Amino acid sequence: MSNGVHEIEDAKLLFVFGYNGADSHPIVARRIVRAKRKGAQIICVDPRRIETARIADLHLQLKNGSNLALVNAIAHVIIEEGLTDDKFIAEHSHGFDEFKDLCQKYSPEAVSEITQIHPDDIRKAARMYATSGQSMILYGMGVCQFAQAVNVVKGLANLAIMTGNFGRWGVGIGPVRGQNNVQGACDMGALPNAYPGYQNVTVPEIQAKFEKAWGVPLSNKVGIPLTQVPHYVLHEPPEKKIRAYYVFGEDPAQSDPDLAEVRESLESLELVILQDIFMNRTGQYADVVLPSTGWNEHDGVYSCCDRGFQRIRKVIEPPADADVLTDWEIISRISTAMGYPMKYHNTEEIWNEVIALCPSFVGATYEKLEKYGNIQWPCRSTDMSDRGTSFLHKDGKFANPDGKAKFSSIDWQPPTELENSEYPLIFSTFREVGHYSARTMTGNCRLLRNLEDEPGWIWMHPDLCQELGVKHGELVKAISKRGFCLARCLPTDRVKKQAVYMSYQWWVGACNELTIAALDPISNTPEYKYCACRVEKIKNQLWAEKYVREEYAKIRQSMGIDNKKGGKAA
Amino acid sequence: MNGFVQGDPLLCIGCRTCAIACVVAHEGKRIFEIDPDGYDFHPRLKIVKTWAVSVPVQCKHCENPACQAVCRSEAITRIDGKVLVDREKCIGCKSCVEACPFGAVNMAPLGFERNPDGSNRSVAHKCDLCHELDGGPACQRVCPTEALRLVEREDLERILFTKRQAVLVAASSPELSRPNFF
Repeated sequence: MSNGVHEIEDAKLLFVFGYNGADSHPIVARRIVRAKRKGAQIICVDPRRIETARIADLHLQLKNGSNLALVNAIAHVIIEEGLTDDKFIAEHSHGFDEFKDLCQKYSPEAVSEITQIHPDDIRKAARMYATSGQSMILYGMGVCQFAQAVNVVKGLANLAIMTGNFGRWGVGIGPVRGQNNVQGACDMGALPNAYPGYQNVTVPEIQAKFEKAWGVPLSNKVGIPLTQVPHYVLHEPPEKKIRAYYVFGEDPAQSDPDLAEVRESLESLELVILQDIFMNRTGQYADVVLPSTGWNEHDGVYSCCDRGFQRIRKVIEPPADADVLTDWEIISRISTAMGYPMKYHNTEEIWNEVIALCPSFVGATYEKLEKYGNIQWPCRSTDMSDRGTSFLHKDGKFANPDGKAKFSSIDWQPPTELENSEYPLIFSTFREVGHYSARTMTGNCRLLRNLEDEPGWIWMHPDLCQELGVKHGELVKAISKRGFCLARCLPTDRVKKQAVYMSYQWWVGACNELTIAALDPISNTPEYKYCACRVEKIKNQLWAEKYVREEYAKIRQSMGIDNKKGGKAA
Repeated sequence: MNGFVQGDPLLCIGCRTCAIACVVAHEGKRIFEIDPDGYDFHPRLKIVKTWAVSVPVQCKHCENPACQAVCRSEAITRIDGKVLVDREKCIGCKSCVEACPFGAVNMAPLGFERNPDGSNRSVAHKCDLCHELDGGPACQRVCPTEALRLVEREDLERILFTKRQAVLVAASSPELSRPNFF
């Protein structure tokens, strides 16, 4: 995020785009509610009537997959009505003229059919955003999980640049990232193209710096993104093939799109290693399982989505009979066994090495994290007075070589797999508040399992339910070109009739059997929010209930969970 | 006067943390010690979501409760400013479920007691304002957006005061103060 999460409360207008805080992060949603209480206006853009939409001053219930058409139309209105911040544009950006030309064809009338939004509402949103004086954009997976994702982010950035909503308190744009510490994984260089601290692997000076620090020669080639693993396992010639897969705190056999293909690649791999705190679906394909400690059984540092580092501390000892190690101890041992002796005594030693090698993290010492609780990078000085950076781009200085922001002129592009006569509905995924990510952790929490359990719900408009003759709680079959799953029907007028929605953590109701592995060309994030599907009524409900029960029992058994003991590991 | 827990739909984000807190408060620590499938998960409030509203619905602790009036086994009583169900006395006739105008009474299996045929014995089940539990209503304490509050006599007084004042302000505006409605 360009701004701190705590600044959300002080914005005068929140433009919440494809981000459902109430289910993804109740703690961030609390800031949105507080902003509202303090008098902020809210514009919510979402195809569902999410909680934010209820309290919003304006809800644009757009058609799924029309994001960039809407964003460009809002820019069109801002230009047309002269609401731009011309001084900011002139002093701190380039590329505006080209962008202005592009926007000409995106009048609210021209995109009204694509977006299913009345032109007046688009105009209203543009005026509200451009004139509040302190507008902040928050976006989430409703932007990122499309084949056209990064370009929508650039489009949102265009809005912030053209109205001067950057580089101050309570403005900017905020990707409220999906998972805890996903920011930390990126900060620490768990990316195919970067060392820790976003230092590019292709830059010779940076390569030399890390080679010197670690005493080994390093590659200067960008690696393979996670979502392209199935392709590299199944379709590349032998010399380029991936043969071993070390999975750590992930469950690709649950969370990746097109599960049939993921299973095929896991089966063809010569070696699969799983390192996790509980057994998961991927573990069923693993040759080796390395059990590690949970979040409350070890020390470390997490990064929040707003670049804030926070310490986590061990609060309990792992069970005495559990043969577990912390993640960093496992990694050290594997590394040592592979010929690179790695020896640390505690996480502070590791952290000191990290910050010494990353100029923008240098000042985030354990001492400061201890004293202030939270340090947002960049923090370039170890002096106690440098408490980090709440918002980026102060005084309109951007991270490009010339210090200026760049307008991106990009056309809207429709999603990859559109509805058709055989699959007439839009299929989209979302989050379930009680279950975190692929439920490896929360599926083992008894209370959260009580709140929602297999096979999960499919949200359908009441008119669609009536047409199909299905009722609340009945099991239905959702089918796409790639696969099917069973789920319980949840009739709700919070969605439009054209689209159905499922959350992605269920084992029996595994909606990723349906999703498509169409990737954004830049981020490689899959299009989880759009594919074509149909929903079928199941006449024999007794059979369906039995099927769900048996499938669930089968999966649990294959993971070593004794069903008779009510879920306790055997 | 009986107090009651009120939800504010403008603050509620429908996250159901209150529902979990309700079960934990009533089950106590044993919930973490017994077999995961060996206890009953029956929150005493229900989160309702419509197009316009998300909010938990629970017992209003009425002053003259309809549930109490229709109860034939004297299982529903007012104790200590709360309307409470005596689960031992309840015969499970469901009259209270039908009588409650707010949909706040539900039926839930007792878990530990069985009917003669071996099935679970179900009884009337509703909010008891965390009667005899430390710290007052658990739902209100855990709500991340402070959407729930315990409304008692003095809160009502404050609400009434605000409303009366608003009326006075309206009445003192020139066009309304003309005595033309008699």
